[in-house]
Amino acid sequence: MMQDALKKIRGAHWLSSDAVIQQLWPDFFRLKGDRLVADDPALTVGFGQFEGQTCLVAGVNRGQTLTERQTYRGGAVAPTGYRKFSRGLKLAMKRHWPVITLINMPGADASLAAEKQGQSQAIAAAIQLMGQLTVPNIAVFLGEGESGGALALANSNRVFMYQHSLFSVASPEAMQAILKRPVGEVDQLLPITAQALQQQGLVDAVLPDTDANTMVAALKTQLQTALMQLADQTPLQLQQQRLTKFQQLQTLV
Amino acid sequence: MGHMPAAGTWQACPQCGEHHHRLEWAPWQICPSCGYYQRLTAQQRLTQLVDQGTFQPLPDLAMTAATTGFPDYAAKLATAQTKTGLAEAIVVGQAAIDQQVCVIGIMDSHFMMGSLNQVVGQKICQLFEVGSQRQLPVVLVTASGGARMQEGLAALTQMSLTLAAKSAFDAQGGFSINVLTDPTMGGVTASFALQADILLAEPAATIGFAGRRVIEQTDQVQLPADFQSAEQLLTRGMLDAVVPRAQLKAQLAQLLRLGGKSA
Ligand SMILES: [Zn+2]
Repeated sequence: MMQDALKKIRGAHWLSSDAVIQQLWPDFFRLKGDRLVADDPALTVGFGQFEGQTCLVAGVNRGQTLTERQTYRGGAVAPTGYRKFSRGLKLAMKRHWPVITLINMPGADASLAAEKQGQSQAIAAAIQLMGQLTVPNIAVFLGEGESGGALALANSNRVFMYQHSLFSVASPEAMQAILKRPVGEVDQLLPITAQALQQQGLVDAVLPDTDANTMVAALKTQLQTALMQLADQTPLQLQQQRLTKFQQLQTLV
Repeated sequence: MGHMPAAGTWQACPQCGEHHHRLEWAPWQICPSCGYYQRLTAQQRLTQLVDQGTFQPLPDLAMTAATTGFPDYAAKLATAQTKTGLAEAIVVGQAAIDQQVCVIGIMDSHFMMGSLNQVVGQKICQLFEVGSQRQLPVVLVTASGGARMQEGLAALTQMSLTLAAKSAFDAQGGFSINVLTDPTMGGVTASFALQADILLAEPAATIGFAGRRVIEQTDQVQLPADFQSAEQLLTRGMLDAVVPRAQLKAQLAQLLRLGGKSA
């Protein structure tokens, strides 16, 4: 079951964030660069209009061709990507734009360059900024999202997940190695699937993953509703709501 | 080796292998042969850093994480508790450091590698909340391998919950100092560990996001031995100072004197 889901969401033909952006934000402008080191092509950050309202959108790119996969490191976002994202978030706050993130990634870039450029600091800053955003944010899991690298994009007022996506502390393969359990068993031991996380109250909507057009249409409807619901919230309410939302995962007794 | 005295009296250095008597490691737990810094327990760290008799634990949160899901997790937790005498991988309290009063948290790598779970996360939030209430600076000594896998997303999201507590503390004008010790890795580094006003580290401490083996696998390279060392991070602009253990208390006291007073 889980191996099938992983194969699907990691495949070259799976719905990409660029495809979603093209359909929902056709007049999109792409920000480039973190103003320090470089531009990270693994993370698209930019803005465009959705139903007449400008939104800040960030989407992870896994790449479809072999060359793209190499350039995008399979969607492992680099510190330059997280810093570009933080730059976008500050702009969004200033201009009162809601923030939408599109997630399908293997975790943050674990390369030598990423380490040298301060991956930990870049992720921490992005997580913190997302939590403190004074505008609404909505995270959409197109596929998998793991570790702090995904949390930086997911610390949001609303979380939507497509049916076969995963949100986990680490990749099923890493969990298998550390916990010495088969990959297929990991989702039985911890809530990581869209359905399980909806039961825990973290996920607000599980979207059907059928064909690309239906998938984008379903997302459009959910975004419209959520943006309307969140529009009147004060910055303090939005910040508090994120806390309450993620505290629901706790199993403290 | 039949003459080796009882365990605990003589200890082999993990770096150079030399055996040294307990009294030779004392008082800083540094290898007399090669200068290796032993990983300290929370109790040893407290003894080295705070004025005698001043440590008062913060109110007990009296919570534990439900350990269903992972059959061996409950047993692992119990073993860690017996081994360390601690309820969890962090100790939090109020104390004086050379008469400078602060709220202090000390992570203990001997407890499941100091991993960040729900209780540890909530105690770090408590540090910042109490720091705001009492208008005291926060000192946090980190030692952790990252998020605790066995608690899944509930552990991972402590990264954002602790950062939210830190943001609230900052909004009140709070002052914070982190001391990064060996090891400080993964989800801990990518959250509260690097977000203090002042970042100090112990010499040779390993501090990073991804583990050495993961990076070597990603890049197909062999990393130099000092990669991710505190000294390397200092040269890359990631830290304010690398402070020898014997000078750490004096360094913290100076910072608390300069920055810790509430206006
Ligand atoms: Zn030695």
